[in-house]
Amino acid sequence: MKTTIPLIIVLVGGIIGIIFQFIPHEFVQTINDEILNYFRVLSFFALPLGIVSILMVHTGKIRRKAQHWQYSIILILTIFFMIVTGFVFGTDRFDPRLANYGWNTIFMFMFQQVQIPIESTMFSLLAFYISTAAYRAFRARSKEATILLVASLIVMLGQVSVGQMIPIIGDYIPVISNWIMSNPNMAAKRGILLGVALGMLGTSLKIILGIERAYLGRA
Amino acid sequence: MFLAYTIAGLLTLFVYSFLYKDNPFYRLAEHLVVGVSLGFGFVYSFQQIFIPFCWNPLMEGHYDVLIPALIGLMWWPRFIPKWAWLSRYPIALTMGFFSGFSIPNTIQASILVQVQHTMLNFAGTSPYGGSQALYIFNQIVIFIGVFSVLIYFYFSKPHKGALGHISKIGIWYLMIGFGATFGFTVMGRISLLIGRLQFIITDWLQIVH
Amino acid sequence: MLAVDKPNDKGDQINVMWPPVKEKIRIDFLQIFQKNKSKENLLIENLADKISGKEKDDNILYYDLFRKNLGTGKMEYINRFQSFITNYRDQRQSFKDTKNKLEGYKKMLREQPTYKYYIRAISPLYYSKVTESKPAKMQGQWFNMEKIIALIAMMVITASLFYFIRKAKSDASLYIRPLAGLKEIDNAVGRATEMGRPILFVPGLSSIADIATIAGLNILAGVAKKAAEYDTPLFVPLRDYVVLPIAQEIVKSAYSEVGRPDAYKEQSVFFVSPSQFAYVAGVAGLMAREKPATNFFMGMFWAESLILTEKGNEEGCIQIAGSDAETQLPFFITTCDFTLIGEELYAASAYISKDPLLVGSIKAQDLDKLFIIGCIILGTLLTTLAELLTYPALNFFKMLFPVQ
Repeated sequence: MKTTIPLIIVLVGGIIGIIFQFIPHEFVQTINDEILNYFRVLSFFALPLGIVSILMVHTGKIRRKAQHWQYSIILILTIFFMIVTGFVFGTDRFDPRLANYGWNTIFMFMFQQVQIPIESTMFSLLAFYISTAAYRAFRARSKEATILLVASLIVMLGQVSVGQMIPIIGDYIPVISNWIMSNPNMAAKRGILLGVALGMLGTSLKIILGIERAYLGRA
Repeated sequence: MFLAYTIAGLLTLFVYSFLYKDNPFYRLAEHLVVGVSLGFGFVYSFQQIFIPFCWNPLMEGHYDVLIPALIGLMWWPRFIPKWAWLSRYPIALTMGFFSGFSIPNTIQASILVQVQHTMLNFAGTSPYGGSQALYIFNQIVIFIGVFSVLIYFYFSKPHKGALGHISKIGIWYLMIGFGATFGFTVMGRISLLIGRLQFIITDWLQIVH
Repeated sequence: MLAVDKPNDKGDQINVMWPPVKEKIRIDFLQIFQKNKSKENLLIENLADKISGKEKDDNILYYDLFRKNLGTGKMEYINRFQSFITNYRDQRQSFKDTKNKLEGYKKMLREQPTYKYYIRAISPLYYSKVTESKPAKMQGQWFNMEKIIALIAMMVITASLFYFIRKAKSDASLYIRPLAGLKEIDNAVGRATEMGRPILFVPGLSSIADIATIAGLNILAGVAKKAAEYDTPLFVPLRDYVVLPIAQEIVKSAYSEVGRPDAYKEQSVFFVSPSQFAYVAGVAGLMAREKPATNFFMGMFWAESLILTEKGNEEGCIQIAGSDAETQLPFFITTCDFTLIGEELYAASAYISKDPLLVGSIKAQDLDKLFIIGCIILGTLLTTLAELLTYPALNFFKMLFPVQ
């Protein structure tokens, strides 16, 4: 009941998943699409677990008065604020008082003026981190790191017009950069892809056959 | 508008302050964004998943959607230790179906198509014109690359002797490929930063128009 | 004119092709009229002298395509095509779009989607005769012949897996070469214990439908066990809420497996945010405040990989990564102490658990790899020979494989 039936479910589910990919008939494909919709519903019901999980972590912090527990209050309040405003004022309902400011509801305001700017700024941190990462590769001084660095330098210079201003070799840089991208780079990608595909197939088959069952708890 | 931009602009600066070190401003921005995104995600999923795929069909009399809904409820007893094992059913269903689902496509797109593209013609000419010698040279470069990278991923024998040499070539190919990807990404990342700075300078502070 | 069912589809398409119309026409006279205000036709130009009696190619401007549903007898106009187009893929409405799917399917069967096609060419001067096709039926296939090689390949892969699993059961000493990154897992967990600092494990940011996530979770099972043995706190922040209960189950059973079920804290495996960079903000903050000694990044990653690993470097963490995301591997390699590249990620769970069955499956993958190399060499040889000997039949082997 606790292990055998889940293993049977995995096996049957896996075989159905495989078979459906080989049958193009509309009758089967409709069932397939329907099943995918079922999984959407099934997954949705796990979402409250996520919310409960984060609430447990942060109420715990507040109760323990752990370091920086005050921020946990902000976080919990924000979650509820968003859920309440989302359901009460709607996600796209038009509020003329707020429309002058380029947003419709307080819910969308929070999304556009809080979430989006913070997220895009987090994303833009990459501009700094990519340079520290390049420095790390430069410092590594192994043969492999040098190959990586040279290839990345050529491709990077091949992308910007500054690269072509370098005397003598400048004209060749875009050519070499393109050559690297479409030959050795492609060969490496293809090799990785083939290996990854075999790994994925192995893992999928092991799950379906019940050999890999860490997710059910081996005990 | 200025109020909205000021909030967004300040939050942007709060996040950049993290580059120096963790501080109250970053902590505020972090907890805000986690809270907002989670609340937004919940409402959004409710409207985009629950309503169209569960509620609406149910209202139209398609009671079959009760099946995934009931199985979905089996996630919840996780918090009751005695009933926690019930959540294995939806887990098993999800893992099984998606494992099977991925198999034929992985074989088709990631193995067979790649193998087809690597069956090269060492005597051919480029379909895009250009020198035949260069074309054949490129084909050989690709062939050696795919072959040596695959050998690098061969786990059954120690990488010594001939196998060691070939896998070494494989590592070089991997490093060239990774370097190329690295170099290819740099400019895109820098433009992200420029985008944020533009927002601060032009939209928010309006120093430059 | 040809109309045939499109093969290997779900049964809602017909390929229609028509021969280009090329007719010689003889023009005897050509006069151009214009209507004046009182609606009388006035002759403006008489070209009769210049072209009468000459034969010339007619300029076809358009084709008009019609279809008749032989089930319902309804005639429909499909579209007008430019003269250089001589084929069309006709598609009927999917019965899925109907409100009641079962009814829609029955209706489709009742109406017998058999069609007859009619084509008419239009030139500036006249409409050509209407050509009609033979009736064609839209039929769904019960097997996609384009995937037959995939089916065979799947059988080969499964057979090799079964073979090596059987072998592994009888012979527990199958060899697989050590992987640098995995040997370090023990040391990394030990280091965290010595320093009295926690371990951070990120099983990627993708969903459970991504096999890389499953591979990451399998590694988590091993790491969690070590953490439980050494009694080192473990943080597993997650982005996908379906992965959450699965990861919790894995960590929980890892703790009970080493006999310490009481040490497991449900809060150590927790959800952060479904949104990519909000998640990153949360995890980066976690690294700054909880100061983990060791970070694991195992699974599918996107642009966030570098933010996470560079933050980890700032905090002086030992970092072990594993991913099949070829666009992120360069960043893991430059910023982490050890990186499992591509397939190594999938092989890792066998290494950690040392379960002979899992080791056997790696052996099977190696055999498949040799098979792939064999196919590539044979295909290249035959293709090259076909070119050298100008004997195209040798390309048959390559043609067995799908192009896309």
